[in-house]
Order: sequence, then structure tokens, then C-alpha cells
Amino acid sequence: MLLRYVNLWFSLAKFSLLGELAFRGNFLIKIFVELLWLGILLLFNYTIFQQTTSIADWNAQQYFFFIGCYFAMGGLIEMLFLDNCNQFADLVRSGDLDFFLLRPIDEQFLVSCKHVDWSCAPNILLGAVIMSLALWQIGWTFDTIQVGIFLVLFASGAALAYGFLLILMSASVWLMRNQSLFEMWWLFTTLMRYPSEIFKGPWAQPTGWFFFFVIPIMLVTNVPARVMVRPLLEPWLACYAIAAAIVVVAASRYIFRAALQHYRSASS
Amino acid sequence: MPIIEANGLSKTYRVYQKQEGLFGALVGLFSREYKDVVAVDNVSFTIEPGEIVGFLGPNGAGKTTTLKMLAGLIYPTSGSATVLGHVPWEREDAFRRRFSLVMGQKNQLWWDLPAADSFQLHREIYSLPSDQFDATLSELTELFGVKDLTSQPVRELSLGERMKMELIAALLHQPQLLLLDEPTIGLDVIAQVTIQKCLRDYNAARGVTVLLTSHYMRDVEALCKRVLVITHGKLVYDGSLAGIVDRFGNEKLVKLQFDGDDSPADVATFGEVTSREGPIVELKVDRARVPEVLAAILQRYTVADISINEPPLDRMIAKVFEQGTV
Repeated sequence: MLLRYVNLWFSLAKFSLLGELAFRGNFLIKIFVELLWLGILLLFNYTIFQQTTSIADWNAQQYFFFIGCYFAMGGLIEMLFLDNCNQFADLVRSGDLDFFLLRPIDEQFLVSCKHVDWSCAPNILLGAVIMSLALWQIGWTFDTIQVGIFLVLFASGAALAYGFLLILMSASVWLMRNQSLFEMWWLFTTLMRYPSEIFKGPWAQPTGWFFFFVIPIMLVTNVPARVMVRPLLEPWLACYAIAAAIVVVAASRYIFRAALQHYRSASS
Repeated sequence: MPIIEANGLSKTYRVYQKQEGLFGALVGLFSREYKDVVAVDNVSFTIEPGEIVGFLGPNGAGKTTTLKMLAGLIYPTSGSATVLGHVPWEREDAFRRRFSLVMGQKNQLWWDLPAADSFQLHREIYSLPSDQFDATLSELTELFGVKDLTSQPVRELSLGERMKMELIAALLHQPQLLLLDEPTIGLDVIAQVTIQKCLRDYNAARGVTVLLTSHYMRDVEALCKRVLVITHGKLVYDGSLAGIVDRFGNEKLVKLQFDGDDSPADVATFGEVTSREGPIVELKVDRARVPEVLAAILQRYTVADISINEPPLDRMIAKVFEQGTV
């Protein structure tokens, strides 16, 4: 069963690549824009670290590791899910969702994985390079267990982000036009971009707490980044990140299935 | 055992009633009125294996909604149905492997890739063994006459070629039931006839059951012995196509070509004139009065040619739609 889905995903990925390569110019421009975006992000933070030695107790090397982690995570989400989730409202409004529901395969898998955005794949690689460089500057020595925990927490973060995307996407069935709610995703990515410790002060602290524990979007990059570059990671935080991912993914599946029950299909 | 068994299927949509103008739109932000629209009302029928059944009705009659309930895409408000022994809206994989839905107005192939790539993906989704897939694909591309076109990007195919590819994709997993929603819409007559022939041949070869909606009576006449007629969500006729002709064909079209350059001025006294061009006149006459009318005309005028025809089927069907009953 799992093998069937893995094979199918590879086929979808292959046909997505063929589709993107059919429009080579667009594909190359997208990669260039992503590189530009990373360059500006690095330059911006480099400039800040010319003025200070740390941001919320994160020194420059730790912070650059965080940026690499964020960039790789963003690249992974964009590559695998973002485009598919973005298109869902159009599928609902046009009735084209019909064809995905007719296939003898899990609808959630097909809808959320049908297209792989290969132009975002270099982001994952670049994120990994930045993380490696930051670790090298820190003088990190290879630790298999630490890397293993990082990979598990990175996967949990990706699952958590996927769950939130799926919930936002499912709302399209009720709202039809869903751009406003989908803007929430960009708020979420902004929150994922910074270490949670920067939320200090009477207003910022409760906000940070809210997005760490109630809508735990800040766990997505904070927890995996911490485990690699911050000396003290409370074990409960890692467990909490994994548990949150499981709960959000399960909830998102429940909401997606409930949404499909309310699907009206557009008139032909 | 019937392939499709629908019992009292109904579907009601709650539709927002938008008020006119800017003020109405602002009011709608705070208070909205909804209306229940009955799309399908207590529809029951059965379809036996191997049948090709036409599903007719004017726009908005409930044909596509019924088809979508039978395909499991939407849930009925009330009633029950089994399709191939399954409750369709439970969408079990075992059910979805055994039927196909093709909508003439929608494209399910990958637009920028050759149809062959979409067919390969189809093979993966349906877990079709390679040898079975190759044999079926070869048979279908031969049948539809598109063997040389499968490696061309779908967006570069003509509408007719695209519809053939859609049908091939729908038949690759050898479904037992084919739900077709206006498969020939927008196609020229040649493409329509080709698709009709392919469907007829495929039905004869494989015994696939077909439920077809179409606004083209030529499709229905060419393919269906039995029709279901639905208007305002209600099923008003379930029977043979000939039955509609018998019941509604209470008039005949009498075409006369008079001697000379013009037709007589009082020809309208013999029946309703449906067309008049020089010496050629077409009259609509009650079936029972045809001999009497012809005798009277022949007694009074010299007629060069006569033909007597049934009114076109689409006119009869339009009458059924208007009256809402047969």
C-alpha cells in the first residue's frame, strides 16, 4: 500500500518536472528569484550582525543556522504542498475537484501532492548549505544522535506546516473564495522566520506564547534549529513538537474529510 | 442485478439570494436570505448491465446533479442509490475502479503534456498491470483512430481529438459503467459521428453500461434505445425512444411541391405552415387527418412531389420539456 503511494508520488513528481521543463524560461526565472530572495535575506541579517553580536541570545552563527533551517523548511513546503493547496480553491470553484474525487486513491494525497514545484528544490539544498556553514563556523562535531533528532524534528515541523496548510485549504469548500484566509499562511511563514525568544515585552510575549503553544506554528523551525545549535533543549519541547504535529495532521485530515462532505461541485 | 439502482434520490441546494446593487451587497454582509433550490426531486430508476441509456432534460433540469450523485461526488439530501453494488458517495476504491465519468466541458488530462503521459499516470493510479495497460491502450487508440496523436501535447490537439483522448483515459481501466455528460458538446458533426460509432462499438465489444446526457438528439438517436427524461428535477419519462415518438408524434410533417412557381394562397387551410419557399410547402398536420388532407389537396391542385415525415426528435423532446410530462 505504502509502496503504491511512493511509486505514485514519484510518477507525479516526474510529470511535474516534465511539465515545468516544457516552460524552461519560467522555471529558470523562478529559481533565480528564489536565489535573489535568499541573498537579500542573508545580506539583511549580515548587516544587522554588523551592529550587534546577538539577537535574543542567538549569536550570528546560530542565527544563520536558523535562517538556513527556515529556508530549507520553506523550500520543502513550497516544493511539495504550497502550490497544490493554493490551487484548491480554484478546483472547488470550477468543479475540477470532481476528477480528483473520482480516482481510486486517497483524495487528500492526490489533491495535496499532485504537483511538485521543482523550482523550489534548490532552496532545500541552499538551506542545507547555510546550515552546514553555520555549524562549521560554530566548530560543531558530528553527532549521529543529534542529527537524527534534528531530522525527526524537521520532519515534524514540515508535518505541522502541512497540517496548517491543509486546514486553511479545506476552508475553501465552505468559503469558495479563500484568498483572505490563505493570507494567514503568509503570516505563519513570517512567524516561522524568527526565533521565539525575540517575542519579549508586554504585548509580544503573549503573542509569541500563543503562536508557540495554542497555534504552534513557531515550533516548525524553532525546535529543529534549537536542537542543533542551542546547548540546552528541554526534552519536553521536542516531545511537544512531535505531539503537536500528530494532533494538527490528524485534525487537518478530519477537517478535510468533513469539507469534502460539503462539496457541492460546480454546475457544468 | 441492475448496475444502477436509484430510489427516491433528491438533492436540495441552499442558495444565497443576492440583493441587487451596492446597498443590497452591504446588507448581505450582515443578513443573508437563502432559498432552497430542489435540483433533483425523488428520482427513481434502474439500469441493467450493457444498456446505453440517454438522460435527457433542459438546462438546469437535474441531469448532471443526478450523474454526480451516482458518481459519488456529491451527497444526496435524501433517497438511496447503489451503483455496481456500492453506495456511491462512500467512494470506496473498489467502486471507483469500476466506473468512469467523462464531462464534455471539462478536461482531466495534463494540459501541457502529451496524452500518453496522462495515460501512464492513470496506469499508476489504477495500478494496472503493464501488459493489460498496453493492450487496452493499443485497442482504444486504434478504435478512436488517434494512434499517432498520443505523443502530442494535449493543448495542441483539436477539441474532437481531445475528447477522444478523454474517452480513452476513461476507458483504460476497463470500467463496467461509463457516465457521460455531454461528451460531444462543441464538436463538429464528423467528430460527433466518430465518437458515437466508437462508443457503440465499445459497448458491443465490452458490454459496458452507459448513461449519457446530451443536448444533441443525434447522439441519443444513434446510441440509446431507452431514455430517461427529467424536467425541474423530476423524472417524467422512463422508456423507449420510440415510445416518445408514439406519444408525441401525433402530428406529421407533409412536404408538398406544387406544379408551377408558387404554392396556392389558401394552403394554410389544410394545416399549419412550417415553411414555404416558392412551390415547396411544409405543413404540420394531425396524424389522423393526413389521408383526408392529402386527398383534398390532390383533388384541388397538381402536386409534383409529396413526402410525409415524423417531426424531428428534438422538437418532440422540447415538447416533453415544456409540458413537464409525457
